[in-house]
Amino acid sequence: MHISLKREIKRSHFGQAGLALLALVVIAAAIAPLLTAYDPDQQTAASLLAPSADHWLGTNHVGQDIWSQLLYGARTSLAVGFGVGILGLILSIIFGVSSALIGGIYDQIIMRIVDALIVIPMIIMVILVAAYIRPDLFILILLLAALSWQGGARVIRAQALSLKESGHIGAARAMGAGRFYVARRHIVPDLGPILLVEFIYGVRRAVFIQAGLAFLGIGDPMLVSWGTMMRDAMSFSYLNVWQWWLIPAGVALSLTIIGLTFVSHAAESVLDPRLRGEAVA
Amino acid sequence: MTGKYHLITYAVAFIIILALNFLLPRMMPGDPLTAIYGDEALIAMTPELQEHLVERFALDEPLWQQFGAYLGALVSFDLGYSYYYNASVFSVIIGSLPWTLLVVGTSLVLSTLLGIILGIESGWRRGSKTDRALLTGLMGLNGFPDFFLGLVLLIVFGVVLGVAPLSGAVTPYAGLTGFALFLDVLRHMALPVAALTLAHLAGSYLLTRNTMITVLKAPFMLTARAKGLKPGSIKYRHAGRNSMLPVLTMTGIWLGRLVTGALFVELVFAYPGVGQLTYQALLSRDYPVIQGVFLMVAVSVLAVNFIVDMIYPHLDPRVRHAY
Repeated sequence: MHISLKREIKRSHFGQAGLALLALVVIAAAIAPLLTAYDPDQQTAASLLAPSADHWLGTNHVGQDIWSQLLYGARTSLAVGFGVGILGLILSIIFGVSSALIGGIYDQIIMRIVDALIVIPMIIMVILVAAYIRPDLFILILLLAALSWQGGARVIRAQALSLKESGHIGAARAMGAGRFYVARRHIVPDLGPILLVEFIYGVRRAVFIQAGLAFLGIGDPMLVSWGTMMRDAMSFSYLNVWQWWLIPAGVALSLTIIGLTFVSHAAESVLDPRLRGEAVA
Repeated sequence: MTGKYHLITYAVAFIIILALNFLLPRMMPGDPLTAIYGDEALIAMTPELQEHLVERFALDEPLWQQFGAYLGALVSFDLGYSYYYNASVFSVIIGSLPWTLLVVGTSLVLSTLLGIILGIESGWRRGSKTDRALLTGLMGLNGFPDFFLGLVLLIVFGVVLGVAPLSGAVTPYAGLTGFALFLDVLRHMALPVAALTLAHLAGSYLLTRNTMITVLKAPFMLTARAKGLKPGSIKYRHAGRNSMLPVLTMTGIWLGRLVTGALFVELVFAYPGVGQLTYQALLSRDYPVIQGVFLMVAVSVLAVNFIVDMIYPHLDPRVRHAY
């Protein structure tokens, strides 16, 4: 590909807006201790306080500072998002590239499993498994990664198949390069933009599902997360606390997902030239 | 993909679903009966009942015989027994299914139709202000999780404005009948349907818009223009109809997303469907119900996908002749 992915994303308005939103969330997560004096886990007797100079967003039902929870919640979302994004991408590359290079029965088996996993709604599989094993943060990342590589594997396999037929791969093979060497040296680096788009898809899905699971109350109840905040705030929706408790958590989650959507849209236009040169670019 | 591959895919998907349902409780540490039946069953447990259950699941037999017993029960629609509701899982799920079907079905139709219309209009005016506003707006909307949209709608229309009911599917003990009952059901489903429709509109919109952009460049569009057809006729009858085809192939996948979306949205509105049931089952660790819901949702999504796969070649002859 002779299109610079970085330039393409930065040139598009969507790409810029998305990167700005993501930067905001990453910075908030990184310097959370500097932005708040409170420990997000610290329970106090001062519960359900309205916003004040001390507690910018008030306190929740067990007296935890909501502003701190909002900041530290970004850490949970980003940890799950990027953890699952990377692990899922690695699995996608392993299964996609090996399918394309080995072919035959192996390819058939992997692709039928991929198709099957695409048809079964992922969230409901996650809910079922999580209901039994009640995962902590680390196990949750592993579980989501194990169930979210299928879409990427199919796309990567298709791209690897077309790369496999191109001249330089044939030349490398003719000079005695092994399959693994070709995969590592020639195919994976050439997958560039596709890998980025699949990675962002994975991150977005994981952020979304983690929030959803926390909202349902599956998983670690002690973990500070936007989904848990919304779940707790929902039971107090008859009070006016939703203004500084529910809405900020929901907006933070939505802005993170919107940021990821915008960046992936900008990156997609690199992959699909028909969509390029839009007025929005 | 040819028909043979389709069948294998669905068979593999079905096996994965069954394997998850069968193996998960049996791989959990501790007493498999607890894992299969949940905490609620322990309270009701007597030695006779335990003996009956061990026999029912063939728990003292090797794993493959247990699997045989499991399959045997499934074939006769025996999904197990919920000690929380003191009723068979099948009847518990069937009881809440109509409400979910109502909400999901309405949202599927609304979000698909609206998405197609907006996608056609947007693609037709590609690059214009309307197109940009729609694209940005809907992609932004796509970022809002369905349960957050539901919560916002609930707060705005239910709590602040007070124009919509806060929970349930009908007004309890109102004894409404006929048209009044119909209106009451409509009032209760309005917000959940709106939340799901808004959250899922972007999918059909983006797909239609992208296809529209490609279709508009096809030679037959030039022919249509040259014939002097009215723009409205070109837009909807020539370009629009072709842009709808990819949307149809996604219907099955979207149904899956809407059903899982409904799980969350129902919780927000305390709507008495399968989502509410799942939530209650998760709280009380009523595993048979969780398993039953998983099985029914997954199998119905598979079925819809299968039906779409079967119909599609009849609507788009290119697919039929592709092999």
